[in-house]
Amino acid sequence: MAIEDKVFSGDTLRSGYRFQRHWDNSMAYAFIFAELGAGIFFVSLLMNSLLGMIMGLVLVSTGKPYFHLAHMGVPSRSWRAMLRPDRSWISRGLLGLGAMIGTGFLYVIALAFGEKLGISPDSGLPGLLKVASATFAIVVMSYQGFAMSHSTAIGIWNSAIIPMASLLYSLSLGVAGALVLLPAAQAGGLVDTQLLLLLGLAIMHVMLLHGGWHGSPGARTSVELLLQTSYSKWFWGLVIAAGIVLPALIMWGAPGNRLLAIISGVAMLGGFCAWRILIFKIGVYEPILSMNPFRTAG
Amino acid sequence: MARMGMVFDLKACIGCNACVIACKQENSLPNGVFFTKTLSEEYGVFPMANRVFIPTICNHCEDAPCEKVCPTGATYTREDGIVMVDDDKCIGCSSCSVACPYDQRTQMEESDFLKGLFGNGEITPFEEDGYGRYTPGTVTKCDFCSQRVDVGLDPACVVTCPTNARIFGDLDDVHSAPSKMIRERHGRPPLPEKNTKPKVFYVN
Amino acid sequence: MATEKSKGQPTANSLKSGHWVASSCKMCLHSCGNLIHVTDDGIINKIEGNPTNPSNNGKLCPKGNAAIMRHYDPARFKQPMRRTNPEKGTGVDPMWEPISWEEALDITAKEIKKSLDEDPRKILPSLEDFQKFNIWAWPLAFGNFNFYQSGGTMCGGAYHPINGFIHSAFGCANDAKYCNYWINNGTGDGFSSHLHAAAQANWVAKARTERNMRVVSIEPRLSIGSAKAEEWIPIRPATDRHFAMGMSHVMINEGLCDYKFLKRDTNSPYLVGEDGLFIRDENRQCYIWDAQNDCAKLWSDKSIGKIALEGNYEIDGKACRPAFQVYKDILEECTPEAMSEITTVPAETIRRIAREFAEAAQVGATMKLEDGRTVPFRPAGYNYYRGAQGHKHGAQTNHAFKLVNMLMGNIDAPGGHMGVVLDTKEVDINHCVPGESGMLTPTPHQLGPTPPFAYPPNTYHLMDYFPLGVHPPHFNLLVHDDPAHFGVEFTPDVIVNCHSNPVWAMQGPRTKWFDFLRSMRFIVCVDIIPTEMTDWADIILPSSDVLETWNCTMIEPPHTEGQSFRQPAVPPLHDTKSEEEIFYEISERMGILEAYNNVVNLTLGFEGHPELMLELDKKYTDKEIAERKGKLWNGKDIEWYMERGHSVTEKRLDKWYRPWEGSRLHFYIEDMLVERNKLKQQMEDANVPFRHEWEWDDYQPLPSTTLDPVHEEPPEYNLYAITFKDIQINFGESLSNPWLKDIVYRDPVHTGLLLNPKTAAAQGLEQGSIVLVESPYGHVYGRINVSEGMHPETLGISNALSRMKSKDSGVLPAGGHFNDMLPYDLRNTDAATGQPETVCKVKITKLDDWPEFLKDGHTVYDLIAKNESAKGKGGQH
Repeated sequence: MAIEDKVFSGDTLRSGYRFQRHWDNSMAYAFIFAELGAGIFFVSLLMNSLLGMIMGLVLVSTGKPYFHLAHMGVPSRSWRAMLRPDRSWISRGLLGLGAMIGTGFLYVIALAFGEKLGISPDSGLPGLLKVASATFAIVVMSYQGFAMSHSTAIGIWNSAIIPMASLLYSLSLGVAGALVLLPAAQAGGLVDTQLLLLLGLAIMHVMLLHGGWHGSPGARTSVELLLQTSYSKWFWGLVIAAGIVLPALIMWGAPGNRLLAIISGVAMLGGFCAWRILIFKIGVYEPILSMNPFRTAG
Repeated sequence: MARMGMVFDLKACIGCNACVIACKQENSLPNGVFFTKTLSEEYGVFPMANRVFIPTICNHCEDAPCEKVCPTGATYTREDGIVMVDDDKCIGCSSCSVACPYDQRTQMEESDFLKGLFGNGEITPFEEDGYGRYTPGTVTKCDFCSQRVDVGLDPACVVTCPTNARIFGDLDDVHSAPSKMIRERHGRPPLPEKNTKPKVFYVN
Repeated sequence: MATEKSKGQPTANSLKSGHWVASSCKMCLHSCGNLIHVTDDGIINKIEGNPTNPSNNGKLCPKGNAAIMRHYDPARFKQPMRRTNPEKGTGVDPMWEPISWEEALDITAKEIKKSLDEDPRKILPSLEDFQKFNIWAWPLAFGNFNFYQSGGTMCGGAYHPINGFIHSAFGCANDAKYCNYWINNGTGDGFSSHLHAAAQANWVAKARTERNMRVVSIEPRLSIGSAKAEEWIPIRPATDRHFAMGMSHVMINEGLCDYKFLKRDTNSPYLVGEDGLFIRDENRQCYIWDAQNDCAKLWSDKSIGKIALEGNYEIDGKACRPAFQVYKDILEECTPEAMSEITTVPAETIRRIAREFAEAAQVGATMKLEDGRTVPFRPAGYNYYRGAQGHKHGAQTNHAFKLVNMLMGNIDAPGGHMGVVLDTKEVDINHCVPGESGMLTPTPHQLGPTPPFAYPPNTYHLMDYFPLGVHPPHFNLLVHDDPAHFGVEFTPDVIVNCHSNPVWAMQGPRTKWFDFLRSMRFIVCVDIIPTEMTDWADIILPSSDVLETWNCTMIEPPHTEGQSFRQPAVPPLHDTKSEEEIFYEISERMGILEAYNNVVNLTLGFEGHPELMLELDKKYTDKEIAERKGKLWNGKDIEWYMERGHSVTEKRLDKWYRPWEGSRLHFYIEDMLVERNKLKQQMEDANVPFRHEWEWDDYQPLPSTTLDPVHEEPPEYNLYAITFKDIQINFGESLSNPWLKDIVYRDPVHTGLLLNPKTAAAQGLEQGSIVLVESPYGHVYGRINVSEGMHPETLGISNALSRMKSKDSGVLPAGGHFNDMLPYDLRNTDAATGQPETVCKVKITKLDDWPEFLKDGHTVYDLIAKNESAKGKGGQH
């Protein structure tokens, strides 16, 4: 074996890089539903779209728990996951999730049936619920990224950019949803917002990958997998081309077209799902110890 | 209070993995599940090629990330520094698994126990006797044979190592074997830059 | 699940309520001391080393740790069985039908006796419980010297006889207690294999870590030992003898030798005539040249002024030289430069190692032992084993290694190169006996009595023509090819197989061995688990395993002596019997009970001890025999042994250091020529038709530089292929064991055919290439693993890639068997000892894909691919 050859250990006893597969596709789907749903809910909240809010809440309260439970080793005990908000981002996130769904649904009820219930949408309680559910939505939009970046184990995850990525994707998908669901008049201003968010996503990817490339050997390896080797087709094709470039072109060239907005939204969704799945798949652990004096970093 | 730790003597280790099997014996582990592993690394170019054997184990970090991220508190540190997993509290979320820089957390699945060691569903009396301690789906790891430590014995892997490459003891005791070895032979922890403060050290 | 913790009971297996049984391991040949934990429910759930045993000091290798999974293997034979499928083959379902013990033993005895009555030579025994020589020797009860042996001749064919010549011992090793410079040539001693792996690893590790002992490892592959060594010297396979002779050349020509030792303690001053024999007087006493008085004197003459080691002299007109001079003359052409050509080791390295070795040996130094003796202190030893010694010119090769040591005077000296006895049986027996003309009595027949010369042959493997050596079992196939050619007048048709797997172990194509087995009328297998061999049995007699039986054994421990005791931890799990009970039952039914008891008395050393001798008409249990062996050693009864598990102590100093004191060692092995001449004459007198094919030149009193014929294969075979094991699989069957499988097929040396990357590239191969490997004699398929730890001319094929699938066994087949590629002919066998060639030359052809028969998804390579491509999840998920 030449000096610089990278060893992927697989399940062998060779020292080398090991893929993380503890957070698998099921976990990725849970993350997708949470961020997608929270993003749609949040933007819909700001844009006062009842349909959007309901959609977002439904996505979050069905897909996220379902896939999370599917991933859980002992699902019957999963209520325990909320017990350590002092230390664990999982606990914080789940509490935030619960709070967002709770306050969110209450707010939706207040909006939908406020008149019948004798509550004005602008009065104190719904206003509080709006602020509360928006805050909790921000928590849900970003906490998964915090959970990923919390520890130093997986180099490419251990970056401040990761929670940012969660937030940016959530917001941009929320905006994409709004552009599809809202009438053109309301959604007009969102095109510029979307372009900015797409720009932000692009910059985010550059920052993440640049940081990884110049980071730990494991992070560099992750970037190589994404950009050059095993997963490069998916990354360039889905995450970048479909998820960012195509929507940007559509937003720039045909801002008012609803059909294209739908295509753009689906493409962004595809790019987001691909990214969520890929970022799990490319996570590697550093080789625990190397005695190779000739080993280059990564 | 004690601070239990381990030193691996890389000069002595012959990569035989007797430790792995002693551990499998002690803990009734299914196939493919390892609480400790000895890896090998080949490097150099012929005729100056070389191969090193690198024992690995849960490092029972003082700043254990697995403990920090655990949402239920199932992972906790004992008074003597051994990082334990309370099987009853674990929900199997695997947050600890992606938090451990050393990939020392293991999730056992029901199929492991159903297939059995011989892979054909025929469960041996040994397995019947031993599998009961596990809840499938939970994520567990080496516990430095804490029950053995409680009665003054060394972990199973340490006891069997033919070349005495595994030295276990109280790092707070400056005269203990691991403390002396760390001092004399410049012990260093694995991946110190991950900031977990491992209590397992390597000497050349 | 997880119910036990809530009861407050410990869940760690070693701590569960139960008791410990002190016993001995048998996952390899040797017998490290162990402790077996049995729970109150009678379940064996932990095995640890026994810290009171000074051999392994409480340590166990991975195999010893895995014994529980042999014990509880669901595929274990649970009761006697008879085959109902007339078609036989490895991997062919015998369609076993359970039968009673009565019936099974009756059939077995009847079938064996049927052939026995026709001609005792029709029985082919393959009895290989190395820890129970009372079983091994059973065929002697009916005067049968046939041997269809499964183990030992690849590693020990020439090794044991030469150890017998030089040390009067069975094996050898360096003295780890004092050695400072340890050379390992073609062996994993102290790291991965050979004697008491866990024990030796422990002793050698202590020497390395506590005393900074330096290790130099000479071999074609970067094995564990070479990886740990301070220096790895890659060498072309089958040229180790030339390396040793190159070293010896340097030591002699630079005056680095221990001349005092050579003169006083060896026969190197004895004068050798032109016919190669010692010059002797009318009383057959040898001569030494007195250089001071310029005349020949008898070796025992006290008036010798100065013993000559060199020079050319005359006695009564007969030209003669001291044996030392004979070797010096042979070594003249063995310059480091010349040897470098043959070995590919740089000349400077050969020179440097010789000088380093000589310096480390501290010639002239002495030390005082605790027993009061002052002996030479020589903390340097040249150790070797299978890889280096397993060649056509095995005797000369082993001898060459011994001579490196002998030149340094380190034979059986503290820190030096030691003889290791197999089983001295009694603590006061010294295995060394003074012999004729001041020399040590050589004991080349370390594994039991050798049949006398006979023509027509009385053995199927031509052992009648190996007066010095260990059995050449591959000759069973050679003779089977053409019995008439060898004058064999009987046709073996019964195989009695116990604790043996010849289908796995033998060289030559499996297909030919299968034909051989098909020609058998009756095959009985006494075994624990199904193997490649048991698939051929007509009757299975299941034996109890090592956790269910009794024994006492010693088995060549390097630094210790004493009996390793074995006692059952639990009663037999299944309807099995001990090997003793089985063979006693068969013997009684065959009417050879008395003869067998005689054999056991002789073999185990009970002769001369009336209180221990077996009564000829009784059947004995394994417990009764174990008890006697223990008493024979130290007079203690079985309760004493049951409590301790062993009577092992460090070797008595007078049996470890220079036990031959006062006798001269065989620097020059005249017996080689004496026996050759005798055999030649016997063959001539008997008009043996194949005597002109016999390789008479193999018998040499000193090593020569003759190349092993493997180097002379046609040039299209452009690589050397070697095979090897490692500590997970040495000396035993391990790959049916799930714990051992879990670590073996994740280890890169066991997951492909190892090839140097430059060599691979030059042949158009790369990591993962699927290949056909062919020698002039056979072939295997495999997948390439490139490794810088391989000599560029060498392909390494682990033994883990040489198994076959048999019924119910968890063993996975690979792409064939390395041994298929080895020859089994006279040309590649050492006529002096029976040692076969263990290396072959091969050529590699790249394939696009596996051949059809390897595509069923259940080969070793499928498991390996699964492990390698797995993306991990702390396990196999």
